[in-house]
Amino acid sequence: MPLVVVGAVLAAGPSLYNNLAFLTTLTIYILLAQGVNIVYGFTGYLPFGFVGFFGAGIYGSSLAIVYWHVGGYAAIGLGALTSVVAAVIVSPLLRLSGAYFALATLAASQALYFIVANESWTFGESGMSLPLLFSPTALYVLSVVAVVLTLVVVVYVRDSHFGLSLRAIRSDAVSAAMAGVNVVRTRTIAWLVAAALAGVAGALWALMTSAFYAETPFDLTISVYAIVFALFGGVRTVIGPVVGAVVLYSLYQYIGISNPQYFELIYGLLIVVLVLFLPGGLTSLVGGRGDRPAWWNRVVRRRSAPEVTP
Amino acid sequence: MASGLAASALSASLSAGASGNVISVGTLYANTGSFATSSMPEYAGLQFWVKQVNAAGGMYVAPLKKKEHVKLVSYNDQSDPATATTLYNQLLTQNKVNVFVADFGSVLTAPAVTIAKDQKHLLFDITGSGTSFFSSGPNPYVALTSLPVSAVWPKPVVGLLSSLKIKRVAILYCQNDFDQAQAAAIKGFLSSKHLQPVYFQGVPTTQTDYSTIVQAIKGSNPQAVLEFGYPNNDIAFLNQLKSTNTHFNFVLTPFPGQLPTLFRQDVGAKALGWQYTYAVPPIMRVNKVNLGLGLNSFLAKFAPGKQSTVNFLNVAGYNAGLAIQAAFAHATSMSQLGIRAGLTAVSGKLQTLEGTFALNKAGAQVGELLPVAQMVPHGAGFQFKIVYPATNAQKAFVNGTPKYPAPKA
Repeated sequence: MPLVVVGAVLAAGPSLYNNLAFLTTLTIYILLAQGVNIVYGFTGYLPFGFVGFFGAGIYGSSLAIVYWHVGGYAAIGLGALTSVVAAVIVSPLLRLSGAYFALATLAASQALYFIVANESWTFGESGMSLPLLFSPTALYVLSVVAVVLTLVVVVYVRDSHFGLSLRAIRSDAVSAAMAGVNVVRTRTIAWLVAAALAGVAGALWALMTSAFYAETPFDLTISVYAIVFALFGGVRTVIGPVVGAVVLYSLYQYIGISNPQYFELIYGLLIVVLVLFLPGGLTSLVGGRGDRPAWWNRVVRRRSAPEVTP
Repeated sequence: MASGLAASALSASLSAGASGNVISVGTLYANTGSFATSSMPEYAGLQFWVKQVNAAGGMYVAPLKKKEHVKLVSYNDQSDPATATTLYNQLLTQNKVNVFVADFGSVLTAPAVTIAKDQKHLLFDITGSGTSFFSSGPNPYVALTSLPVSAVWPKPVVGLLSSLKIKRVAILYCQNDFDQAQAAAIKGFLSSKHLQPVYFQGVPTTQTDYSTIVQAIKGSNPQAVLEFGYPNNDIAFLNQLKSTNTHFNFVLTPFPGQLPTLFRQDVGAKALGWQYTYAVPPIMRVNKVNLGLGLNSFLAKFAPGKQSTVNFLNVAGYNAGLAIQAAFAHATSMSQLGIRAGLTAVSGKLQTLEGTFALNKAGAQVGELLPVAQMVPHGAGFQFKIVYPATNAQKAFVNGTPKYPAPKA
């Protein structure tokens, strides 16, 4: 059901607001937020350097187009593959945990940025310039399809035995191992799936933007937004990261247009307020009582309390 | 859903401005982030042009055979190229502007170039001189208004080196399009004279530690040192020379001419003495123009009583407005190609406060070449003296002779 609703809403997007660059970027953020959802929501590893996979996907697909003249679909596949290869290379970081893991991924993404930005074969100096392989409408349709397929993956991760293993690892890796869960393999698979999603997102971004310099794909704010969107909507859910990305990125666009002079102030305050009062994300409001914030439970209790008559 | 409803309601209120008897010009600016210090002066220059044109009753629009007022529709991209992508698209799809103007520099211009080509909408690119924008053949939808493409910048530097009979040249450049193109152009010139640079080294654009590099350059015993970087690189390099008391007879860096206040503050006037840079407006004062204000009039009207605060980017923003004005004044129709035809018609003939406006078929600026200036100590500070022209027409601007070898500061 959520898949149908999300697909229908995104498909109707252009008839409500015909800025396809905005809508395509929104779907790209949904993909990234779902990547964060899988790696953080289900395994507990917060990847601050998640943008590295996004950048790897961008350069993997772009270089395939430039050097091998591949088509758009193959470029998306190769973008995802490049990100997976990058994830394999940095997978030893999974031995770390907490802040150490977050910072190590950040350092890895920056190392990748410096390599790309300073090599001539990656066009780090002159900037990348790609032919336009898809019309804006076709690219948006493609990105909506990617979102729907991603949701299928997340539903599987949530409901399958594999997802159960991930949650067991998140709660207590040692106990999970003693219960027979292959901790290293399970974590690594989740890590690679998340990287592949970021790679697809990166390839779509490259096809949309087509002219860019290395500092844009590896901008750390992309990581921050993906994490904030996932947390705001609610991790460990299918719909949470979608809601987070749609609401916050739309607000981002709205404030950026209506009140550009107060942009950072309004957006920053909004996030602070939301994190303070909705730490479990928006979807926690409709979850079980244990998931809801205390103030929301009080409101609900007061409304549903029976009238006391003498 | 929320995005659609919110944005459609918003766009309705904004797009109203694009209709009616006005020519709407869309642009982005960055009032925060890494490009803010360059973007805001450029935006101020464009705003000034709009004010000037509207005060004169509007600009002449040839296809309509009458004057129209100009409306500037602008958004803040916060120096973020991803945000700029959606906002450029906002200008075209929601505000339906007649033409649009890119934000400062190649990084923020890149998304606009894609959108201009994709949607076949005319983009006025002020300072995004990246080679990749103009290397894919004829492109009628992008026009570079205020800076020549990077590779032609060093043309007068080559002439100056030649006139001073300098043969041992050290070239240090940052690995980006802008700087690498200049370094390659100088190297090419030396090769044509059967010479090789005594030092030729690229460094990352993020480089700020030049201690070992300066020693290596010194070891190559050059007659001239050319450092091509962005402002932060130039400042770090010059400060390294100052802190190690290293003296070369000829040092050229690109940005002191564009941002003299910043360089005086961060490097110091004394350390800049006798060094060379490009002479951008307002160092070069073009007053003989056939459109808009001459440089002196611009300074007087743009910042009355505060002329020393005016920098090149203010001029560049205003000059982009003049290019728009010329395009509409000579447009053959109101279509995008019709407006572009107006630019083609004036190319090579339009004289503005930046010099001769000339575009090649790819839309790259090949006029507006920059002479070389030397920073001559004057009291506690220094004065820019133009010592070598880029064209014969610029000989009139030469007001000094190069002091070589440079005296020790």
